[in-house]
Amino acid sequence: MIPENRSKADANPTKAFFVRMITRDITLEDCIFDLIDNSIDGAWELAGGQPMSLDDNTDLSPYRISINVQNDGFLIQDNCGGITLDDAADYAFTFGRKDTAETENFSIGVYGIGMKRAVFKIGSDITIHSTFIDEGKPSSFCVPIKVDEWLTSKSEDWDFDIEAAPDLPSAGVKIQISNLTEVALRSFESPRFIQNLRRSISRDYALHLHRGLAIEVQGKPVSGWAIELRQGGDFLPMRATFTEQIQDEDVHVELLAGMAAAPPDSSEPSDDFDDALNRSGWYVVCNGRIVLAADKTSVTGWGTEGWPQWHPQYSGFMGLIVFASRRADLLPLTTTKRSVDETSAVYRQFRPKMRDATKEWISYTNARKQVRVEAVKREEFTKSVPIFEIVPRAEVALPRIAPTPKIPEANVLYSVPKARMLKLASALGNINMAYKDVGIQSFEYTYSDLVGEE
Amino acid sequence: MASFDSINYSLRPSKSVQRGLVFDGLRKLSNALDLSNAVYIGFGSIWFTDFVLAHKTLNIDDMVSIEANEIGFKRAQFNKSYRTITMMQGMSQDKLPEVLSMPGYLNRPWIVWLDYDSALNEGVVQDFQWTLNNAPPNSVLLFTFSATQNAYGDKPVQRPERLRSLLGDVVPDDLSKEDCSKENLPSVLAKLAMDYLKSEVADLARPGGLIEAFRVPYFDSVGMVTVGAVLPAVGAVPAARAVVSTGDWKCLVDEVIHAPQLTLREIAALQSELPPVGAITRTRVQELGFDLQDEQIQSFQKYYKYLPSFAEVVV
Ligand SMILES: Nc1ncnc2c1ncn2[C@@H]1O[C@H](COP(=O)(O)OP(=O)(O)OP(=O)(O)O)[C@@H](O)[C@H]1O
Ligand SMILES: [Mg+2]
Repeated sequence: MIPENRSKADANPTKAFFVRMITRDITLEDCIFDLIDNSIDGAWELAGGQPMSLDDNTDLSPYRISINVQNDGFLIQDNCGGITLDDAADYAFTFGRKDTAETENFSIGVYGIGMKRAVFKIGSDITIHSTFIDEGKPSSFCVPIKVDEWLTSKSEDWDFDIEAAPDLPSAGVKIQISNLTEVALRSFESPRFIQNLRRSISRDYALHLHRGLAIEVQGKPVSGWAIELRQGGDFLPMRATFTEQIQDEDVHVELLAGMAAAPPDSSEPSDDFDDALNRSGWYVVCNGRIVLAADKTSVTGWGTEGWPQWHPQYSGFMGLIVFASRRADLLPLTTTKRSVDETSAVYRQFRPKMRDATKEWISYTNARKQVRVEAVKREEFTKSVPIFEIVPRAEVALPRIAPTPKIPEANVLYSVPKARMLKLASALGNINMAYKDVGIQSFEYTYSDLVGEE
Repeated sequence: MASFDSINYSLRPSKSVQRGLVFDGLRKLSNALDLSNAVYIGFGSIWFTDFVLAHKTLNIDDMVSIEANEIGFKRAQFNKSYRTITMMQGMSQDKLPEVLSMPGYLNRPWIVWLDYDSALNEGVVQDFQWTLNNAPPNSVLLFTFSATQNAYGDKPVQRPERLRSLLGDVVPDDLSKEDCSKENLPSVLAKLAMDYLKSEVADLARPGGLIEAFRVPYFDSVGMVTVGAVLPAVGAVPAARAVVSTGDWKCLVDEVIHAPQLTLREIAALQSELPPVGAITRTRVQELGFDLQDEQIQSFQKYYKYLPSFAEVVV
């Protein structure tokens, strides 16, 4: 017989374990993004809550999110409507969405963990301050969280206290955090972290920034990345829309793919930064947020099911798959919003379409090796077009160029000290000139000097 | 010794001011962090000016001087001012690692001043990384390099890209060609180089972190930049921070130092104005019978004490 008081094995998590666990597998940057996502969800709802397709032209210009980091604190503030007192009391601070919670319209948030995880990751002295409009009048509260006290308090419940607070200048949320964690402290001291944060915001919120949303870091607005594909002549990007029914709910899907930049002349890896290479790959967008950018891994199909591994030869390709649904839980979002759930059914359904578009590009770059000169000519004929302006088309169109008879060629390969190469590049007029061009120009120079006219 | 000091003074007055500021700062840090046991590492050239100062004002005995030029190395060995200076022949990128095998050096703070005569280049950035990675706790690092705009690209549009290829992600995407003009480049380079150092230290998770301590842009026939930082031991962070944040700390300079080259007659005339009551104006200089640019007058009156042979020359 099992005694009465021994009939249950305690499986309740400790708070300390819980905090450690939820903050473990997410980067600091993604935590800051969770806070931005929440502000945007507020703004999107206020602005009407449409499905975020590329054609949608919701105006986000009244909304502003500002982020300030210092070595002794973090501050994010928005004017996106705030959290209501009822929401705060009932669910905003709950770890994990309650089953009864209504799903917001076309939100990024879905799991009910982002904000809590983010503030714990950043520091241990937290104040979340909200001003919302209640029957036409501003009303405010704040939730101070002293993490160390909360962790050590003997009380069984996990609640936070809600306190009265003065009104913020406009309805919105202000989160202040001090007593920073080691990782936040170190990152906020790094100018590189701040620059890269700006770059990631510019990229991952490009669709919101395009609609006028203002995001400021250290007082300076971030400008959105202008996502463009090249179009013209035989080059026509694909842009197709689909609607899937899942659990009686619409999931809107848009698929775009094509050439974002001309392929590289050589596929040798170089130690120099290559912007085109960096931008190449697949992008996955869920309710407006880019959750996966420039992906070159099996997550977007590379190296799976008769699809080759990514190779620098394919540089220049860009594809976007844009999902939107009233119910964010139907989208292939992960909890960190930094990748896609590969097991998601809608996502799997669209993978073959992604593969077909990718394969077109792969065969173009293969064929291109035989007809490089002609291909370059045609590529130069294209111009960059913002994705919003691309005309619908079911497939990617790329030129098919018949190979011309080959003139035998000689390849030259040699090494020189880098400093001398840079000096020569500089003397030729551009210190950043590709080594290959320095080589060609030196060849031509010597050739016309010693050999003369053909 | 007086002779090359006065040569330095009359030909490179801004250089003297910068050196004076640096050693003023090092002396304060040395008092706060007890750096008398430190090792001094630098490019002594054939003059060893900074080595003499390190020995006299900081009480440092053990020093390492790196020299790549073969003849320069021979002359340096001939000229080296103290028995305790170890000479190494080669490029700093190759020779710095040898410091690690000098007995006991890893357990003492280092004061490293790499005073390059070149512009920032891949080798300099490699030295940044190596020293940040290897300097023991309580070390002080200083780097001086040229900010001549053409060394970063003949055309202004090329310069942001060149800086990006050297310093990577710390360079803002919107760095403009105006930021890289002759006038702006020294301050911009000083900021970006310091941003790079901070970011590297953050990435390395050095326990005591980095404290920005030196930023001295100056004009010495070409634009030059000195940046430097303290890498304190964890326990020494408050002490180091305190030194650098007092109003007395002069080594974080915002404007470009433009100390004028002056003749003995001009110095004699200016001497009568010192110490200045209020600002010396250009009109006043003209009344004295000659003329100088405004920024030269400003730098002179702010830094005349750091022109080391000033008194000697006048006496
Ligand atoms: N800046 C904000 N403006 C308005 N409401 C907010 C803001 N921040 C948080 N909230 C509210 O708090 C709730 C909880 O946020 P939290 O990020 O923890 O979970 P979530 O967004 O629902 O889901 P996810 O874990 O996927 O992010 C949100 O659903 C939202 O109602
Ligand atoms: Mg959220």
